[in-house]
Amino acid sequence: MSGPGKDEAATLVEKPTAVDGLHYVNYGDQRESPYLSAIRQLISQDLSEPYSIYVYRYFLYQWPDLCFMALDKDENLIGVIVCKLEPHRGGPMRGYIAMLATRQQHRGQGIASALVRMAVEKMIAKDADEIALETEVDNEPSLRIYAHLGFIRTKRLHRYYLNGNTAFRLILYLKPGIPYKHTYPPEYGGPSDGGGLMDEDLVARQAAQLQLEDVEGETHDVTGGNTYR
Amino acid sequence: MSDTVSRLHQEAEEAKRVWTPRVKDITQDFTTASNKLEGGQLVKDEWFTLFESVGALEIMDPKMDSGYVPPDDTFEADFDPVRPLDLPEVLWVIDQIHSLEILWHAGYPLSQTVFTSLHMDRILDPQQPRMPSLYLHAADKEVNAALTEEQSLGHALLTAYCVAVAKCCALVVELVQSQNYYEEEDFVTHMFGRELLPRVSLEEALELVDAATSRLRKSKTVDAEMKEALQQRMIFRTTFLCALADGGDESRWERMVGLLGRIKTSHEIAKPLPEAFSEKVQRQLATSTPPRPMLTTSWDEACKKWTKMIEDVVAVNRLTDINIVQSPASLQRAMWAFSYRGEPFALPRAIIQDCLFGDQAIRGQIPQYDLLLADIRDLVLAGDPIADPASFQVEVTTDPRHICSRLMEGFMDKAIEEYLNFYRMVCQNRCRIRRLFTQSIAILDAMEMEAMKVDRELIKSSPGLKLNDPKSGRAVSLSPLSSWAKFYRLRILAWTIQLGFETEIYLPYELAGMYWFLSRLSEQRNDLIQQVLLFTVGRAKRLGKDRNALADCLLSEQYLQSLHAMYEITRLLAEALWKLFTLLTSTGVVKKPKQDFTTQQLLYEARMKPYLCLTNDTVPSADDFALATTQNASLEQTCTDIDDCIKSAKELLVKARKLTPEQAKFVGTDEEWKREVKGLEATCIAVTVACSQVRSAGKKYGEDHLAKRLECKIERRWAEWWVVPSVKVKADTKP
Repeated sequence: MSGPGKDEAATLVEKPTAVDGLHYVNYGDQRESPYLSAIRQLISQDLSEPYSIYVYRYFLYQWPDLCFMALDKDENLIGVIVCKLEPHRGGPMRGYIAMLATRQQHRGQGIASALVRMAVEKMIAKDADEIALETEVDNEPSLRIYAHLGFIRTKRLHRYYLNGNTAFRLILYLKPGIPYKHTYPPEYGGPSDGGGLMDEDLVARQAAQLQLEDVEGETHDVTGGNTYR
Repeated sequence: MSDTVSRLHQEAEEAKRVWTPRVKDITQDFTTASNKLEGGQLVKDEWFTLFESVGALEIMDPKMDSGYVPPDDTFEADFDPVRPLDLPEVLWVIDQIHSLEILWHAGYPLSQTVFTSLHMDRILDPQQPRMPSLYLHAADKEVNAALTEEQSLGHALLTAYCVAVAKCCALVVELVQSQNYYEEEDFVTHMFGRELLPRVSLEEALELVDAATSRLRKSKTVDAEMKEALQQRMIFRTTFLCALADGGDESRWERMVGLLGRIKTSHEIAKPLPEAFSEKVQRQLATSTPPRPMLTTSWDEACKKWTKMIEDVVAVNRLTDINIVQSPASLQRAMWAFSYRGEPFALPRAIIQDCLFGDQAIRGQIPQYDLLLADIRDLVLAGDPIADPASFQVEVTTDPRHICSRLMEGFMDKAIEEYLNFYRMVCQNRCRIRRLFTQSIAILDAMEMEAMKVDRELIKSSPGLKLNDPKSGRAVSLSPLSSWAKFYRLRILAWTIQLGFETEIYLPYELAGMYWFLSRLSEQRNDLIQQVLLFTVGRAKRLGKDRNALADCLLSEQYLQSLHAMYEITRLLAEALWKLFTLLTSTGVVKKPKQDFTTQQLLYEARMKPYLCLTNDTVPSADDFALATTQNASLEQTCTDIDDCIKSAKELLVKARKLTPEQAKFVGTDEEWKREVKGLEATCIAVTVACSQVRSAGKKYGEDHLAKRLECKIERRWAEWWVVPSVKVKADTKP
């Protein structure tokens, strides 16, 4: 996720405006916080197509402690990060940065970077093994933030977003030995099905298009259910 | 009798009961249940997954609900597709459908392209009469009767054209789906609840086009220019449809290229009718995706894309020529050549896969097992009876040839699937090629283990696999199949790294390490080739009078030598770039990010994950990488080393230029070979330039000040698979 948008955008037309009384808070344990609509508004500015309210609820209801917000002195939302943390296909405990956004006029001041740090630290405290995310290949500021924290690019995902843009999958290992952990194949056949995907997979694929589920589960088999065998 | 009547009656009653919908008022249950919840309280169902949340739509939200109609808008588009049209308008509608169709081929959904045509929408309406010719007839007979001859002709042409487009789309979907592709990434087959005229046969569609075209031809009122323009489009459509349907006649595709050129210029006389297209059509399509805009493209751009696609299909025929497919190595080069024609669309990619894998035979002529056997023979067993097809016919069970053939068959059975994937993977999109090959490494590693077992058996029955090493004088034996498997494992491993360069997987600070890894791999590849060459040369000496076998040996020897030369060039270039990037990184010209949350070991594991599974080789450790990318030599010494590598690489490139297609097995892809050699030469020059910049800046400012004085850009201008630093003195640096 992290949207086909510009977290901490490169396109700084004018000098960023300093935020008066900038402070960071956790989303807290409220299931439906008063900030939800502001979060939604901020995130959807960067999206070509909006997420339904359920996408936000999916993350915030289950992992409210992995959501951090940057607020100004009047408690207005300036930036936000939304994440999840769960075992990845029965293997490593994987943190996932789903959304990250900062208000246009306050970009370039390290707010997004601070939010990511908070989320990463919280995930470490919660015993995460690794953290993954996707971001557009030409989103330089976003790529820079993650590179500085130690993320590396592991995959290039062709036409990953609904708007047809291509993404990089970024990974940060937090503990040694992750590549040796056993994982199960993905629940949905995914690309290994080849020859076009079934309806069920289309849904999965669509979710992937919205950058919501990682599509790492390819197998080597590119022949799928082909006729030649 | 009365029993039967009452039983039937009873059965009928029961049947009725099953079918009668029962209404139950659940208001009370609902109210009781919901009273247990607080206002605004959220309940999460255990099975409500991310997929559901993403699939959820908020009804009446204009950005999500594709059925939403704004208050001042109408549900349906205002344009009536049965409305009489002038021929210039018909021409424009045809061209617009033509433009949208190519965007669909480029990977966009039908809902944003072809389906936005209100004529197409009308034709695909499931309520249409049985007779396709009536598709654009108005319900009111008088309206049809009032049409002028030209208007009636226009309708006939447009009907036929739209029907043929629908049939073309149906065939394209079928072709693409029959081969490997990635839905949404490469192509969208989604029909949005529509069907592409399954009840109209191909013959019917063609007859419809023929009938309309012959009416056009006979018309005395239509002016010559318009007649010609419309006729070109109808001929193009029939040609495309027939080519898709039977694929047989290759000249059809070539003819289409010519037709497209003429269609492009005759567009000028069309009269725009934009209201005949509307994204409101999406309101009636079955979709869970939000409404999306109708796509637009310029006519020139559309024509360019069409020509490119058809030319790619023409290239398929050239690149799977019988001379090419007889040589596995040449065929593999041809597949890469195809893939690098600027990423062909899904259709040409399906057609080339069909050529290779349809009917279990390459181009329907060379059985897939023969291809594999030829590959093994060319690389490791030229002139040896083990890989001679004739040996497989020997029935005497005690004959060593019989014994070896059965062993070979056993191995080939296990290897064939992954082997064919080498060809198929290259037909995927570039991001996928790298990832698929990455996954292939573990399979090849396992295949190598299997090959070792078979090799031990083969040696027992085959004296030709042993010889005395001229250097050491000791008896050594060839392990043909494991050498073959290792060859591919190393080759594909190197490809994944170079494809990583191409797809910008590595950050600048990682390049020194990756180039070191690549140079190390190239060294391993050449050690392997040297070993195999020893046996191929030895076999040629022993063969004596068997001319065919001798010729095979000599060809293989030349091929192995050409591989050796190319891998040596790769090794030298990789070594030069490893040293250059190490220098740039250690002096701080290439900056390493802070990386607060990670360690050397963790970065290594994340980067090397696909390779850590290898059992047949020691994968370099994190310490090995660290050691290799530590700058020990002086700047001057490093630059001299780099120059030496480039000098040797250039000398080998001079030799590579002289290789023939038969020697280096690039039959049919001479142009691409030349381009590759040229790209490598240009890379050599770029490295030399960067190196001399660093050297002179080092002399001028001192090594410690390079980070401040120099700026470095990573470029991939010279060759797809090589990233090279471009170094220059910063503009604000005062002399």
